[in-house]
Amino acid sequence: MWLPILGLILGVSLGFLSDIQIPQEYGNYLSIAVLAALDTLLGGIRAHLQRVYDDLVFITGFFFNILLAAALAFLGVHLGVDLYLAAIFAFGVRLFQNLAVIRRVLLTKWSEIRKVSETNNS
Amino acid sequence: MTEQTERQTALQTPSRKKRNNRMWYALVFLVLGFILAFSYRTLGPGSEAQQIQSEADAREETYRAELIEQKERNKQLTEEIASKQKRIAEVEQGLSDSEENHDTLVKEAKSLRLLLGVVPAAGQGVRVSLEDGDYDPAQQNPNDYIVHESQVLTVVNELKIAGAQALSINGQRLNANSSIKCTGPVIAVDGQTFPAPFVIEAVGDVDALNSSLTLKGGVMDTLMLDNIVMTIEKKKEIIMPALREDAQS
Repeated sequence: MWLPILGLILGVSLGFLSDIQIPQEYGNYLSIAVLAALDTLLGGIRAHLQRVYDDLVFITGFFFNILLAAALAFLGVHLGVDLYLAAIFAFGVRLFQNLAVIRRVLLTKWSEIRKVSETNNS
Repeated sequence: MTEQTERQTALQTPSRKKRNNRMWYALVFLVLGFILAFSYRTLGPGSEAQQIQSEADAREETYRAELIEQKERNKQLTEEIASKQKRIAEVEQGLSDSEENHDTLVKEAKSLRLLLGVVPAAGQGVRVSLEDGDYDPAQQNPNDYIVHESQVLTVVNELKIAGAQALSINGQRLNANSSIKCTGPVIAVDGQTFPAPFVIEAVGDVDALNSSLTLKGGVMDTLMLDNIVMTIEKKKEIIMPALREDAQS
């Protein structure tokens, strides 16, 4: 389990220490990418909780969503349409749905555990 | 998150696949961390973008303030210009007024000088000569037919009233404080004695002078009654010398 944590730490430090400058107008892509990453992550967690998790789907989804979101925003900037709003909307909705599903699954699990412990105690 | 991933990874049983997956997760988290950190650094509070933005804002603010200041100053200067223009107009007006004044003053000075007799006078005028009446044996008193200083004075006064600019008696220029005195058979004008006939010359408007003298019941009639021969000549050009220095004493 240390490898992903190391990866996270490495990524964060890389992000903070890197000297890469991006123009202001590409900030949209970045925020979209963040959103896509978070969405995919939560989707993965939800899938895992629902026991339909698949590695390939998760990993490909993670990168593909980021790229797709960035490409959409890029296209939007070049077409003069605020397409990144579509991405934000879609990812935002999915984010909340995923969160809701996760919460419910966790709640059911917790109540099941409590019930079991109660029956054990009694 | 890490617990979740741990559990996720724990689900995978074959060790090679597991290791492979862990690498993938490490990559995923690396990318996630990088994106989060990078976006925080670039777009978050206190980031360079924000700083640039705020700097630009500050600069814009300064420029705006400067612009306002400049506009204010412009307004002030415009007002100043307006007031200065007004002042210039006033000064010009005053100047032209004073020029006019100057003009009238010069004219006045000229006429006053003429009156004083310090400058030679020339121009149209009249010549009035007063002669004693012919000897009349019937008259016992010669005073009745010789020219008296009072009569000369009357003529002179009449001419002055009629607007004569310069006067002379027998070539002796009169000024404002000339005296005409009777000294026996002769008349002293400013100390110079003159015998009859007396020639009084006056520079001025011929018609006015003439008509004032020939007024009915005026000077001429009076002098006729006094048996004095008075002749009036209209002259196109009378040249009168300036007041003689010796005469003033």
